[in-house]
Amino acid sequence: MARDLDYEPSAPKTIKKSTGTKVFEAIAYTLLVLGSIVCVLPFIIIVSGSFTDNATILTQGYSLLPRDFTLSAYQTIFKSPKDILQAYKMTLYYTVVGTGLGLMMITLTGYVISRKEFKYRNTVSFLIYFTSIFGGGMIPWYLMYANVLGLKGSTLAIWFPALMSPFLVILMRTFIVGAVPDAITESAKIDGAGHFTIFFRIVLPVLKPGLATVGLFLALGYWNDWYRSSMFSTNSSTWQLQFYLYDLLNATTAMKQMASNVSMKTADLPTESVKLAMAVVATGPVLLFYPFVQRFFVSGITVGAVKG
Amino acid sequence: MKKKVLSALLSMAMVAGVITGCGGAGTQSAADQLEAEGVEEIPVAETQEETTEAEAPAEEAKELDLSQQVDLVFYVMGDAPQDEELVEAALNEKLLEKCNATVDMQFSTWTDFQQKYANEITAQSADLIYIANWLNYGQLASSGAFEELDEMLDTVAPDLKALVGDANLNMCKVGGKIYAVPNTWAEYVCNGVKYREDLRAKYDLPVPDSLENLEAYLLGIKENDPSQGLLTVTTEESQGLKTGFDAAWALNFKYNWVANNGLDYGLAANYDTPADVYDYWYSDDFVDDMKLMKKWADEGFWSKSALSDTNNSDAYKNGLCVAEVAGQNPNKQITAIADFENAGQGWESGYVAYGETNGVIYPGHATQNGTAIVRGCKDPERALLVLQAMLCDEEINSIVQYGIKGTHYDVADGIYKNLQEEAGETATFPYEGFNTWNLRNGDTKLPQKTDVKLQEMFDKYAALGEKTKFPNVNIYDGFSENYDSYSAERSAVSNVMRQYLAPLEAGLVDDVDAAVEEFRDKMKEAGIDKCREEYTKQWIAYCEEYDYK
Amino acid sequence: MRNKWISGISAVCLILALPFFNWIKVVNLVALFSKIGVTKDMAKDLLTGYNLYNLLSFVQYANQGVLGLFAMVLLILTAAAIYFNVAFIIRSLFGINKGKGELSLLAAAKCAFLFEFLTAAATIAFVIFSNAKFKMTGFLPGVVVYIELAISVAAYIYIKILEKKERDKYREHGLWVELKRNWVLFVMLIPTFVYFMINNYLPMLGVYFAFTSFNFRDGLWSSPFTGFKNFEFLIKADLFRLTKNTVLYNVVFIGIGNILQIFFAILVSRVTVKWFKKTSQTLMFMPYFVSFVILKVIVYNVFEYQYGLINNLITQMGGERIDFYNNPSYWPFLITFFYLWKNIGYGMVVYLATIMGIDNEIYEAARVDGANELQQIWYITLPHIKPTFIILLLYALGSIMKGQFELFYQLIGNNGVLFNATDIFDTYVYRITMTQPLSIGLGTAAGLYQSLFGFLIIVLVNYIVKKRNPEYALF
Repeated sequence: MARDLDYEPSAPKTIKKSTGTKVFEAIAYTLLVLGSIVCVLPFIIIVSGSFTDNATILTQGYSLLPRDFTLSAYQTIFKSPKDILQAYKMTLYYTVVGTGLGLMMITLTGYVISRKEFKYRNTVSFLIYFTSIFGGGMIPWYLMYANVLGLKGSTLAIWFPALMSPFLVILMRTFIVGAVPDAITESAKIDGAGHFTIFFRIVLPVLKPGLATVGLFLALGYWNDWYRSSMFSTNSSTWQLQFYLYDLLNATTAMKQMASNVSMKTADLPTESVKLAMAVVATGPVLLFYPFVQRFFVSGITVGAVKG
Repeated sequence: MKKKVLSALLSMAMVAGVITGCGGAGTQSAADQLEAEGVEEIPVAETQEETTEAEAPAEEAKELDLSQQVDLVFYVMGDAPQDEELVEAALNEKLLEKCNATVDMQFSTWTDFQQKYANEITAQSADLIYIANWLNYGQLASSGAFEELDEMLDTVAPDLKALVGDANLNMCKVGGKIYAVPNTWAEYVCNGVKYREDLRAKYDLPVPDSLENLEAYLLGIKENDPSQGLLTVTTEESQGLKTGFDAAWALNFKYNWVANNGLDYGLAANYDTPADVYDYWYSDDFVDDMKLMKKWADEGFWSKSALSDTNNSDAYKNGLCVAEVAGQNPNKQITAIADFENAGQGWESGYVAYGETNGVIYPGHATQNGTAIVRGCKDPERALLVLQAMLCDEEINSIVQYGIKGTHYDVADGIYKNLQEEAGETATFPYEGFNTWNLRNGDTKLPQKTDVKLQEMFDKYAALGEKTKFPNVNIYDGFSENYDSYSAERSAVSNVMRQYLAPLEAGLVDDVDAAVEEFRDKMKEAGIDKCREEYTKQWIAYCEEYDYK
Repeated sequence: MRNKWISGISAVCLILALPFFNWIKVVNLVALFSKIGVTKDMAKDLLTGYNLYNLLSFVQYANQGVLGLFAMVLLILTAAAIYFNVAFIIRSLFGINKGKGELSLLAAAKCAFLFEFLTAAATIAFVIFSNAKFKMTGFLPGVVVYIELAISVAAYIYIKILEKKERDKYREHGLWVELKRNWVLFVMLIPTFVYFMINNYLPMLGVYFAFTSFNFRDGLWSSPFTGFKNFEFLIKADLFRLTKNTVLYNVVFIGIGNILQIFFAILVSRVTVKWFKKTSQTLMFMPYFVSFVILKVIVYNVFEYQYGLINNLITQMGGERIDFYNNPSYWPFLITFFYLWKNIGYGMVVYLATIMGIDNEIYEAARVDGANELQQIWYITLPHIKPTFIILLLYALGSIMKGQFELFYQLIGNNGVLFNATDIFDTYVYRITMTQPLSIGLGTAAGLYQSLFGFLIIVLVNYIVKKRNPEYALF
């Protein structure tokens, strides 16, 4: 059996900092602060805009602090709290189920195609990669789910299509190759461990940063998606959150356009501020959740006794 | 070694064979073979058994077999109302009674609706479907997306046929066959200019009812209030093959064939003589008009960055601009009036339809709001019967359009009133809550409060429309182009329009003459001549067919 | 010696598959033509016999879209058969042989004959299929087909026997043994197989639409076959400019993007103050959540001519206004900036995770040896990142003709003035398909061009990488 793997918190800082290190750190901190500011500025504009009156945004443009403070954009979005809660619930469901299953499938696949003893690993890698280059387009894909499998209107059609992606599989393979040296699995094999044992006992524990990354990408993909609701939902009770918000906006703009052709009543939305509030509503929960995943890729691990 | 040489030779021979690609041994042209066999003419076989079957029972007004219940899907645009299920239940109760059928309304939602609409038809999962010219009805019908209705209308739905009338049905013909049933409410969607009546009066400016007056109106406001935005124009309404920039719609004052009313590819034809097609982009008029656009742009009527600005929907409402020239219609004017009333700043909106100046005005085309039966429908005859019930039967029609009386709406003095909205709640089934504009029955349609003003405008236009050569007939929108043989050129032309025509019409070029030359050359390169030739042929044939001469 | 014989047989197979021979004969002309509605006029373009290459011309000129997909599959099989045969012959003649004994050569031979067999079998299936479709005997397979079938089966069996001997000699194993030995791995792949089959491989049949002119009357699979007509608009377009723009933008995005991602990942990983590390990483991730629709509005408000933020600043400082939206030269930089801005935080995570996967003891040892920060990064961090970097780079190469559609479409929109510098393949195709809303073929054809372009590049680059270091290869 493999030797035990220990984790330690990041390395103790016993060695005194040299001048070079100090200069390096000064530069690093400055650059990071600058980078963070550039990245966060637009977000501040968005948040403050979402609390600004729509007409004010239109007439006076965007600003870093809210002017004519109002909650009307949020009131519009939460006009029917039951619906938006349902959308939150469904998105959470899709994200959890999709990320869970997808992560499992991706990790297993990544493991298989990283095994040197697996004769067809390159063939399988190629077949997976191939799908990222060639595709038949949207219509056959749609017909596959809607007509052949008859999944239109079901929740399966919303989470199934995004379970895996060639990019994440290849990424996972890279993580596994990097994290698990051949020597370990070889010795485990000699000890008589089967593939499942190796996978669960040896590979998974050292793969945490990789799992966190791929899981994060998968989850974000699910959280941000609206397209599959748009394609396959027949009932608003199965809508994803992003689609709920996106459609709210689309309905206004589309109906305004439509009104050039047809006499019809158009919904009156404060579009600009709603657009911004939508971004806040959709992103908020992710930012709350983010630190829990973050620790896996901002604090290092020490693979104790193992030497590559 | 010898063998290697040998196989090398062999492979070279093979390659040579591939390259020369000589026809296989014993292959000859099928025509020669027929010649040799002495075949004069290939008999036209009675191929498709289906058609022979369909031809057989051609009885008049036969009784439909209603013993089997049929569940139909009705695909419409937009979002579902909250009370979809409730109203559907009420509707189906009636439909089961009358036609032994049920209808399940399915909604496109407004996200990606064009794409989803095409998907729905490709997948053939709906039975009845909303159609409109802005959803490419003509092309869809000629490509065989819908069932032919000619015979069925006589045998299954004579009432429907009588209600809609031959003239309207005629307008829905594509390639000589009827594929859709239009609604029967005549509405005017005539384009025009929306402007700020209060400012016009305040500064004593002319009503913008011609190019000169529009210019004077805008200049006048600029003079009096330099900080006021004038026009918010973008490329939003000009994505087709007619114009490239929204400001060009104002040229409607000068010609009666700009934008919506016109022909594609810079061709023009007067409403009175539609078959007489002439050229615009290569004429001197075009250069003059472009110079006018440049003058306007230099005056600062619109932003220099206008080509990238798509954020215009609320500009007029918020007082950021004082006129809108593209994509307007009476209904939008009504909305603007209401918006200004809500804003309570004493703003007033005025409206001049281009037709009032250029003398050409007509109601929307029959294919603007209609219903078709999707090819592959479970039971086309029953679907048509259901459609007849939904349009002609006042009780069923009012359920579809307004919901349940007493719960959702009520009628007072012949005017529709939404009970929930009156009570300050969100309407769970608003006016035309299923978005079934295709089921508007002109005879029984309940007007809303705002419809009174709208109707006044319509009446005014109807009177004008009577005086045109084809009284109150929209001769343009029934035409659908078949561009199969020149689609590549068409794509290239549309691209040149975005790249060269739009900046011209937005007045963003330094030297108009030079830019016009460049635009014309690029158009020639893109193959405009081929497009024009084919398009003109088809257009003239269309005019012949409908006798627009 | 034996190899020469086998390659001789392979060459015979190959020659039989060449367009000298009729694989499919058209019989009962009059009856068939009358049945499928071919007039005497159309018959001019038709032949009495078809080989594997011109069969699609029958589909096209006789207007029989029903047979199109099948004929297409046949053509692809033929191409594969030719490829594998030629590859095998070349290898055996020039003695290119890697691996143990003759195993790899035999595998190549097996592949060659397998595809010859499949081609012949599919031809027969095609005849049966079309006869059933037309409910009459209109097609017959040529004698060649049977010869090919017989030869390939015999050769395949013969090679199987040879292979077995060879395997015993070198203790190598085939699929069955692999299945038996590593069945667990195969089981692990089952869900993946199902997924990619449903989500990707079956819908891939839709590539065929690139060659048809879709109409609803005939349906998806029976619409008229039109050859390369859907590709015409690509040639009409300024294909060179579009390709150049797309590739250049992507090269810049991939190159600078990855470098900056690595750069910031290393900075973050080196920071010792925990809260700072976490906060800066989170903040840099945030642009990922700003949708392009919102970005467009903000960008417009910043760069507008009259009241835009930048121009206001410039005029306040007494400068000349800059007309961003009518001047293409600014936009390559602006677009690149916004791409990087949006993607650095997101892409950084991969590198951060890779860095965190490095055993801390290695750094400890280096520190004890007196290595400074830069040396640690240069000698430890970067080498560890290298495999990830190369894989990500390779992966991105395959999509080099596919652009960041949303980014370009939202920032530029329909502003034709800027197209020369900012039009990429995807935005162009989008505009074209908007003018022809019902053409499925157009979009598919464009996609096929992008795919083939990317595919050729990635196969080439992957081959080179594999030669130098198989560890870094993508497949």
